Amino acid sequence: MGLTANEFTVQFIATLIKFAIMAGILLQLPPVMVWAERRIPGMMQRRKGPNRVGLFKFRLYGIVQPLADTIKLIMKEEVVPEGAQKAFYHLAPIFSVFPAFLIAMAIPYGPDIHAFGFDVPLSIIRVDVGFLFIFAVSSLAVYGVTIAGWASNNKYSLLGSLRASAQMISYEIPLGMSLIPIVLIYGSLDLNKIVEAQNHVWLWGVFLSPISFVLFLISMFAETNRSPFDLAEAEGELVAGFHTEYTSAKFAAFFLGEYVSMFVLSCLASTVFFGGWQVPFVDILKIDDAIGFTGVGALIGFMSLLLKAGFFMWVYVWVRWTVPRFRYDQLMSLGWHYMVPLGLINIVLTAVILAAIRF
Amino acid sequence: MPDFSLILPHVVFHTFALLITIVSICVVAARHPVKSAVFLVVDLFLLAGLYASLDSHFVAAIQILVYAGAIVVLFLFVIMLLNLQQEQLKGVKFTVVEAGALLITLIGFLVVMFTTMSGKPTGLGEGSLDVAAIEAAGGNTQVVAMKLLTNFIWPFELASMLILMAMVAAIVIAKKDKKVVPAA
Repeated sequence: MGLTANEFTVQFIATLIKFAIMAGILLQLPPVMVWAERRIPGMMQRRKGPNRVGLFKFRLYGIVQPLADTIKLIMKEEVVPEGAQKAFYHLAPIFSVFPAFLIAMAIPYGPDIHAFGFDVPLSIIRVDVGFLFIFAVSSLAVYGVTIAGWASNNKYSLLGSLRASAQMISYEIPLGMSLIPIVLIYGSLDLNKIVEAQNHVWLWGVFLSPISFVLFLISMFAETNRSPFDLAEAEGELVAGFHTEYTSAKFAAFFLGEYVSMFVLSCLASTVFFGGWQVPFVDILKIDDAIGFTGVGALIGFMSLLLKAGFFMWVYVWVRWTVPRFRYDQLMSLGWHYMVPLGLINIVLTAVILAAIRF
Repeated sequence: MPDFSLILPHVVFHTFALLITIVSICVVAARHPVKSAVFLVVDLFLLAGLYASLDSHFVAAIQILVYAGAIVVLFLFVIMLLNLQQEQLKGVKFTVVEAGALLITLIGFLVVMFTTMSGKPTGLGEGSLDVAAIEAAGGNTQVVAMKLLTNFIWPFELASMLILMAMVAAIVIAKKDKKVVPAA
């Protein structure tokens, strides 16, 4: 609204560039994470993990292994099970990838770049209700799982998808509740404003609302169906859950969806609780002026966020190889009997304290 | 060079409107209940897009969160668990009552359409509702919140009570057949 034609062109081109960079990063996630997810447990369990595949004579710690894995995965035969709902069977992987990518657009990856009189924000779309947007879109992720299980015409798939979707719906509630105190404290639904408010280490969300952080961290694992809450694909009971009947590139799409939503939740956790693109003890908004070169601050901010998100990705892997899987009734009881009441108490407590301070 | 930033909102709005019409027809016309439900999700999602293109970001987000993200998932659950089969095609025959109901619905639809097309949008209270005025009052979320928690506090609270009552009633009805185990 109210943009001049010139500004419109600049923003349009900037958006295209941001799209390209983001797509590049997100699509590179699964290979890197697959490698990390085999090397890190190797390190933890005092074994080597994949270290043979390399380029020419260089083994490079096996980092080329994911390439081999990907080629193998794509070359596999594509099997469509008999009696499957064809259209939905083909659509389900798209349904599971789409929301994850959509959320990735709303996260602020760095401070605005002020260049040549234009103001370029470092999130692909700036939404003034960023929080709600993220919840709204992440609640759509259930459909990929549900439809995949139902369309494959397989009892294990259906059971797996019912488990997964019930779990995702249940844990959306504590996830949402854990962030309400943050909205109360910073007084905004705009993620960028929340990051700007955390310009000192002691103003980070994790210190102002530690209970929220614990609730968020637990729900994060349940939302992405990761261990210790990976009941949806408990291989001893359900073969592989909702993606039992998927092979080849469609299976890879589910993989991609899972890793992208892990990354997005990691970014959200760093944005909300660890200051997002802020760097401790440095005023990042003044770096550009101090150095005299535009964009340096944005780059440092971006790196800072990636580092924090990378830490959470590491936590995902760490927990997966440390904590055993829950039983399904334990999972539901944890969600509804402990986390939802705790979330409610947390909201009331925060509101009362804030009212007392501001009174 | 034409000013794209003025044309673009109209293009977006009409594209969404057209898509919503097509998908809505698909919801009713689809013969498999799961297909209907999935079309309904797409429909609600596009509707949220329409709200967003009208600068009502708050309503758009709530629309997806509540309807597309929560309510239709439950529809889908019920349909899948009941394992409903594809509807058989039936010859269309209306009874007099059905035809009358259809006619009244159509007339009502036309009346609503013409009144909304001719009149100006009015808010449920004093104050202007254009984009600039809302932006000045602190943005969408704040305006909605202020309205809900000041002018409309009683209807808001009553509605929440009503929903709570409906929920309790549903649980009571669902538990009706179970034997009550006396406390030890």
